[in-house]
Amino acid sequence: MPEPPEASPHTRGGFWRDAWRRFRRDRPALGALIFILLLILVALGAPFLVGTKPIVCSYKGSLYFPFLEYYFQGVENSIFFQDRFRGVFPVNLKKKDPASWALWPLVYQDPYRRVEAGEWPGEAGNKTYQPPSLRHLFGTDEQGRDVFARVIFGTRVALLVGLVSMGIAGVIGLLVGALAGYFGGKVDLTLSRLIELSMSIPTLVLILALLSIVERPGIYHLMAVMGLTRWESMARLTRGEFLRLKERDFVLAARALGAPWHRIVFRHILPNALAPALATLTFGIASAILIESALSFLGLGAPPPTPSWGRILASWRANDSCWWLAIFPGLAIFLSVLAYNLIGDGFQEATDPRSRSGA
Amino acid sequence: MLPYTFRRVLIGLFTLLLISFVVYGLIRAMPGDPASLAAWGQEGAGDLTVSAREFEEMRRAYGLDKHWTLAYFEWLGKIVRGDLGISLYNHRPVKDMILDALGPTLLLSVTSLSLAYVLSIPLGLYSAHRSGKLDERALSGFLYVLYSFPSYVVAVFLLLLLSVELKLLPLTGMRGKDFETLSGLARGWDLLKHMVLPVACYTYGSLAYYTRFIRSNLVEVSRQNYILTARAKGLPERTVLFKHAFRNSLIPLVTLMGLSLPTLLSGSVILENIFAWPGMGRVFYQALYTRDYPLIMGVTLMFSVLVLAGTLLADLLYPLVDPRISHA
Repeated sequence: MPEPPEASPHTRGGFWRDAWRRFRRDRPALGALIFILLLILVALGAPFLVGTKPIVCSYKGSLYFPFLEYYFQGVENSIFFQDRFRGVFPVNLKKKDPASWALWPLVYQDPYRRVEAGEWPGEAGNKTYQPPSLRHLFGTDEQGRDVFARVIFGTRVALLVGLVSMGIAGVIGLLVGALAGYFGGKVDLTLSRLIELSMSIPTLVLILALLSIVERPGIYHLMAVMGLTRWESMARLTRGEFLRLKERDFVLAARALGAPWHRIVFRHILPNALAPALATLTFGIASAILIESALSFLGLGAPPPTPSWGRILASWRANDSCWWLAIFPGLAIFLSVLAYNLIGDGFQEATDPRSRSGA
Repeated sequence: MLPYTFRRVLIGLFTLLLISFVVYGLIRAMPGDPASLAAWGQEGAGDLTVSAREFEEMRRAYGLDKHWTLAYFEWLGKIVRGDLGISLYNHRPVKDMILDALGPTLLLSVTSLSLAYVLSIPLGLYSAHRSGKLDERALSGFLYVLYSFPSYVVAVFLLLLLSVELKLLPLTGMRGKDFETLSGLARGWDLLKHMVLPVACYTYGSLAYYTRFIRSNLVEVSRQNYILTARAKGLPERTVLFKHAFRNSLIPLVTLMGLSLPTLLSGSVILENIFAWPGMGRVFYQALYTRDYPLIMGVTLMFSVLVLAGTLLADLLYPLVDPRISHA
């Protein structure tokens, strides 16, 4: 059977191009999108901005990239282990190979530990609870760790939690919603009960109980658990869209052509239901960032060495005169949540046909 | 109407049964149980403080020796007879602990919800009336930013500013240290000072949300033909806005009220934690932390009943506000 032609093209090129044109005109949303793209850059390139491992160094005649350890834990090159670097590069590089050279991150500080005296030739070690200065842009915390380094690396945690957990939630939500909406009847009844059930269990209980099944919950477990618990709104929305769309003529046409149900659901209806689902997903990312920081703030989220914004904010409680421990992570959480909300709203405005005629 | 209500309540009861079963299974899967916490202490590092026989007795008393499904049905049997059990940690009846915590939580949530409604309705009407004008856009923008500001971050910032830096308000708790020695009026003043920050943190988010909600509903309603008719008749703008538009935009507001019922009693785990407020959220957090099974179950049961009752109430109120909807 020949492929049916694609849906008739809109005037001036397609739904998505149209939506993008509309989105671009929404200044706050566009600004928020740029901000998030910047955050993604910061998250991806965190070890270039701040760290204690050289980006590239020449040591005993070969080139090494020790900063990669910030991405993949435990990939330290064995030569540094044999030569007893113990994670401290500046002094050891010069001492053990005077001819070595290294390219350093912009700021020599570490998100996981304090910098000790003499680590960088001629520099003093970090002191605890230092207010912001040129050396410590955001001050230091109770262990003398640099808060700037922790906030920068916290970007990775926040963005990853948002994207991964909502990715999982999105897939589950779309699937459950699509099946419930398309098949209706008993399938709908069962799945709707499931949605209701999962909505009525307190999120905190669900997350903590699911987390506790694994021996040592890490940040990836948290993401998986949040994905498994936050799909309900997505499912409800998709179900509604499917209920609305499945009566349309194009679905009838597809059915009349003898298309199997999975083709109708995924190729014909789903693309039409995607726009509102994506907006919901964006709001979901904002709330995932919120929940992760809240859990970490309560001491229930990411395990201790992880530089999570919520955990930095929590360290303010032990010494509440250190305003820098509250302001910087707090603003980071606020700004990223605000940005995701703005993007979600802008996207909704841009793709919702109802908002076109008005304003 | 009645058969509909009956059917909904029946489905609700079945859902409750399922929820409590799932949650019971989940909390039994949590690492660390109340017996070992009591025997080894919270850190789980120290030596056993009780003999092996006592430990076994404790496990039996807590129902840990049985399979969790059996223990669940035992718990369920007690619930049906109206017995929520005894807290494993505080050794007080769960019912009393919940009732004790409800007061402080209601004090915050009722105050904040009333404030939110009282303020958001005029704000929403105003911004719908001035829609598109400069002052409305400034107000809406401000409310939008406010809505995105996480409550615990605001709580921390406000504490930092008003309690730590300016020392205007007490840091945490519900009462000052000298509360017992104060006279009636001074007690009220003390309580009020402790309430200001928690109430502010509870309120601003829903205030911003409700205002936006009311405004967008009003704007939506204003596009209807009957509004055009009312304007065409030459009715004053005030009458159009209040009598024609506002009344018809109330329907979604009723749903929202129904859905906010559970949050009235559930409190906020994180805010009550920050302000050391002795309410439901804090009780729940501590119950989870100490693996206090009967208390976790009791609180969860209450939350679930409220969520289900809230949705049911909203659905039942629909036909009252909007005669077009009927459950006949």
